[in-house]
Amino acid sequence: MSDGNPNFSFTQTALQYLDSLYGFAMTLTRDRTEAEDLVQETYLRAVRAFGRLLPDSNLKGWMFAIMRNAWINEVRRSRNAPHFVELDAEEDYARRVGRIPNDPYAVLLKNRERDEIRAAIDGLPQGFREIIVLRDIEGFSYQQIADILDCPAGTVMSRLGRARQKLRSVLAGLQTIAPKTIGAKAI
Amino acid sequence: MNPCEQIRDQIIFYLDDELEARERVSLEVHLRSCAPCRDLFEQEKCFLETVRRAGPVHKASPALRTRIKETLEDVPPPHAAPAALRQRIERTVWGSFVTTAGGHFRGALWRAAVILIAFVVGYGVFGRYRIYEHTQQPSAFASMAVDRHQRHLRDQLPLEVVSAAPDQISAWFAGKVPFKVELPNYQEMSGQERLYELEGARLVDYENNHAAYVAYRMRNRPISLLVTSQQIVEPSGGEEIVSKNITFHYDSIDGFKVITWADRGLAYALVSDLEERGQQSCIVCHQGTRDQDFIRSLKPRSSFWK
Repeated sequence: MSDGNPNFSFTQTALQYLDSLYGFAMTLTRDRTEAEDLVQETYLRAVRAFGRLLPDSNLKGWMFAIMRNAWINEVRRSRNAPHFVELDAEEDYARRVGRIPNDPYAVLLKNRERDEIRAAIDGLPQGFREIIVLRDIEGFSYQQIADILDCPAGTVMSRLGRARQKLRSVLAGLQTIAPKTIGAKAI
Repeated sequence: MNPCEQIRDQIIFYLDDELEARERVSLEVHLRSCAPCRDLFEQEKCFLETVRRAGPVHKASPALRTRIKETLEDVPPPHAAPAALRQRIERTVWGSFVTTAGGHFRGALWRAAVILIAFVVGYGVFGRYRIYEHTQQPSAFASMAVDRHQRHLRDQLPLEVVSAAPDQISAWFAGKVPFKVELPNYQEMSGQERLYELEGARLVDYENNHAAYVAYRMRNRPISLLVTSQQIVEPSGGEEIVSKNITFHYDSIDGFKVITWADRGLAYALVSDLEERGQQSCIVCHQGTRDQDFIRSLKPRSSFWK
């Protein structure tokens, strides 16, 4: 690939979002293989449509929207196929936390706290974990999230509030998370 | 709702950086004098910082990174002709001109002359109505207008002022945009049947400047009008149609009809899903009988238009 290829600038810019997109793909699919396929599909769709993107558009947000649409289409397409059942947040969380090694030589408490928070986010229902990831991990604004999820900004606010409340209640049950961190009362 | 309740409702928006400057200052002033609200603020801040420190939740493997790079390298540039087609066309073109003894060359020259004559004759006939028959890619301005129209349809672009009174909308824009937005009130003045409804307006960003967005509805079908300074954008692209010394640019983007033009220092875009070129959307400013000639001039003369 060279500078003469119109795809070159897209590749250079878009590859910096790979980790974020993969993280979002994992958030949506919770399966490594599916997530990798979804990332590949997203980049393919994006590079083909890149020429139609407005110059002042948010490339990262646009690619997140492409990924989510691709995932929704895939879910719709395979609706007749066997599908996973969303586990209850706490039950799923417990299953995931069980995978975190309780190693006496393990890393600092801070890292454990981080691992547990990540596992707690992964254990949230899909609608909650995607909005937490978009806002608190990826830092999108409410309006950008509304564009990605294709819903009103008001829906983003209310769903984000409920997602954080759920995450807070899950984290409240962990010993490694300081009570001060969780907060006594949800806003 | 007492002041503390109001502030507590806003804390999360403050921490998400979603408050306006005035609201942020108001909240900060209150926190300085209210210990219970300050405690709640600190708790919420601590919670969000902890969650945010946990990211990124997942990281792409080097293998995936390589796979994506290879995928992108394999994708041809958008709208590029396949290599086989490119070679075939090159062979055809060069074959016509390079063939010996002049037979093919004269043939190619003759064909080119016929095409040129046909073009000139066609241009002369249709040129009375349309100065330019060729079509170019839609401009960024036209694409932006369609995008904002679609967002408005999806409730992602709420109106900042809701009014059916053109003078109220015009007054609302005063001081917000560096030009005067004058919306005609022909329906009221003429006493004619109301063919469209003015819904309201808002500001939209374009090229780091505010543009005026006005929403209409005609027979329950939405119409968007965008106005900005001609210094920011010079309408271009699409099919060009000249009428009354104004060049209109017509595009069809994602099934929506968009007409862009510039007049007296302002650039305009009209978006709708109306028939043909959507020329009936012009009625929001041109409802008078004498304006019908102008609207008819934008009507397509063949059935090639969707």
